Amino acid sequence: MKPLNKILTGLLSVLFLLPAYDGFSQAAQKADLSVAIGYFNVNNQVPYLTVNVKTKKTGRFQPVGGIAVKLFLNKDSAGTFIGKVVTNDKGTANANIPLSVKKEWDVSASHTFLATFEGNKEYEAAKTDLTVGRAKILISATDDKKITASVFELKDKNWVPLKGIELKIAVKRLGGDLPVNETPTFTTDSTGQASADFKRDQLPGDSKGNIILVAKVEDNDQFGNLSIEKTVPWGSKFQYVSTFDKRTLFATRDKAPIWLQFIAYSIIVAVWGILVYLVFNVIKIRKLGEDIT
Amino acid sequence: MENSTLAADEKIIADLLPQKFGKWGKIWTGFLIAICLVGMFAYYRQLRYGLIVTNMRDYVSWGIYISNFVFFVAISLVGSLITAVFRLANVHWSTPLTRIAEMIAVAAIIFASLIIIVDMGRPERFYNLFTHGRIQSPIIWDVIVITTYFFISILLLFYPLLPDIKILLRFKERSGKWLHKFYSFIGSFWKGTPAQFKLSDKAINILCITIIPVAFTIHTVTSWLFATTYRPGWDSTNFGAYFIAGAFLVGSGAVVVAMYVFRKAYHLEKYITENHFEKMGRIVVLLALLYLYFNVNEFLTPAFKMKESESAYLLGLFTGDFALPFWFAIIIGMILPILILLFKKGRRPLPVFIVGVMVVVGAWFKRYLIVTPTLLHPFLPMHDVPESYRHYFPSWEEWAITCGSLAGAMLIITILARIFPIIPIQETITEQHETVK
Repeated sequence: MKPLNKILTGLLSVLFLLPAYDGFSQAAQKADLSVAIGYFNVNNQVPYLTVNVKTKKTGRFQPVGGIAVKLFLNKDSAGTFIGKVVTNDKGTANANIPLSVKKEWDVSASHTFLATFEGNKEYEAAKTDLTVGRAKILISATDDKKITASVFELKDKNWVPLKGIELKIAVKRLGGDLPVNETPTFTTDSTGQASADFKRDQLPGDSKGNIILVAKVEDNDQFGNLSIEKTVPWGSKFQYVSTFDKRTLFATRDKAPIWLQFIAYSIIVAVWGILVYLVFNVIKIRKLGEDIT
Repeated sequence: MENSTLAADEKIIADLLPQKFGKWGKIWTGFLIAICLVGMFAYYRQLRYGLIVTNMRDYVSWGIYISNFVFFVAISLVGSLITAVFRLANVHWSTPLTRIAEMIAVAAIIFASLIIIVDMGRPERFYNLFTHGRIQSPIIWDVIVITTYFFISILLLFYPLLPDIKILLRFKERSGKWLHKFYSFIGSFWKGTPAQFKLSDKAINILCITIIPVAFTIHTVTSWLFATTYRPGWDSTNFGAYFIAGAFLVGSGAVVVAMYVFRKAYHLEKYITENHFEKMGRIVVLLALLYLYFNVNEFLTPAFKMKESESAYLLGLFTGDFALPFWFAIIIGMILPILILLFKKGRRPLPVFIVGVMVVVGAWFKRYLIVTPTLLHPFLPMHDVPESYRHYFPSWEEWAITCGSLAGAMLIITILARIFPIIPIQETITEQHETVK
């Protein structure tokens, strides 16, 4: 075979193979979803669940919005249906445990929550479950600023103290919780109690000096998330000083600082004064020209 | 003697009168108009569907438009450098370059103003900036100073044009009916009397003195739009001087590019000589060294400390997603121009032109790098946000509008060069007479 023919044959082979390569390729696969359930009980009221949906993209977990997840209590049936939730842009959704499952709820001290996603064009079906025992947390505070948190578990219709539970005792602040002293976490003893001394004197409170204490069990494998709050007058009284009517750099336009207005408007008047003068100068030159004409 | 002087004057006039577009001039203009039309269509889509057609999201809310705005503001400063600084310093060799610099300044400042409006989601509310603007906001300072600089640039283009208008009015047939009417409208009153010259010279001097602080203000205030915002990369006390040094560099780069193109297109070798390129080359190398110095200041000290809050931003520039444009801007926009222009052979017209292009292109990327990487690296890390928030690459609409604005600025320069003499005729004649004396 001549060299030219060899090249042509080679090129033709590549040309034929290219579409073949495409033809063998498979349809795009659906992605897998990771669904997680969280159990929360705040102030021993009606618990609620959170659903968190993620998928792995380019090696990193990304939240997935718009995923409809069905939630059930103990078993997948009509009578135990908690609700259907759709995740937001952050991949999360919340659901309160409704009155309709109260009968099922009261039967046992431990429950399993089921979350199912039926799948769609983009994602495979997914399901997960979470088993939690029913527990409650209490908080008390004495005049000598000692805080005690107690954790109890429901066993045979009785609340029994829980030993060895790790919890936080903190002050609720705007951006998060501030531990009441240098110890970040506490563990309950055989009476289910953990105590902490309050060492945050002069912490700004509200106008009456009230602050909110909080005791929290977070992401416990057996009992989920429990928290309780208590308001105590241990903070310093916060006196709000309004700058609303003051002249500041961040005030409204009519409250601009005088020094700023003076400097800014002086510069503007000076420069634009020159520009106006130069425009009049053109008129003057024009007049001189017209006089000659 | 007088006859020969008159003949020399007429020769200068004949050489420097505006020329009609040739074949390539028409193709160039048509090309620019086509890009502008595509940009206008993209802007229509942006108006119709909103800023969602762009790829700007919650984090990168200032994208390619604001980068382009900073670029235009920077390039407009050249009017103050070539015209005002050189005139006040009694530098005469720059006379043939003043008009080019003024045209670039006017075109750039027009598009700097327009691109800000393009960046607005609701441009019909633009007037609110004037009716409800807060004098405490650097954005208002920028609006005021851009408007001021625009008027000063127009006046600085207009005043030195008056003696040339008188010359242009002599060539009615060559100019054509409409252009002649236009010349009459803007300057038929100029008779060239000593009194008029006195007033005009005084006005030009005042303008030259006024434009320098205003030019410094316009770019300092533009830099403060960033520096008064607490962000990695923007939190710098160096920003005003850093921006001004960069602005003078890109402006000078633009002038040498325009010098070369006009010289070739209109055969102006006699007026824009190799000596002009030699001198402009020296200016560009000085400015490039100065800007490189500011860049070292801007990046070396933060990189030395490598604070945790800024490390992602800095590493993104040095070795990460933005490393290619970053090193392109530093090497092509500064280091290579310095290396080329340090040598005498590098200051010939063609190398200077190539360096000018490198400086301008490098400067455009530099502006992009000032705006975007910082916005992608906020102090508080991004948590649980849609994937599109984490990255930014302009949509086709953003590219089209940006290219349209760049083409629009070049179109204005092209039209101004078609209407007015690229080199001041009267000043060239006067200088010729002084040389003969």
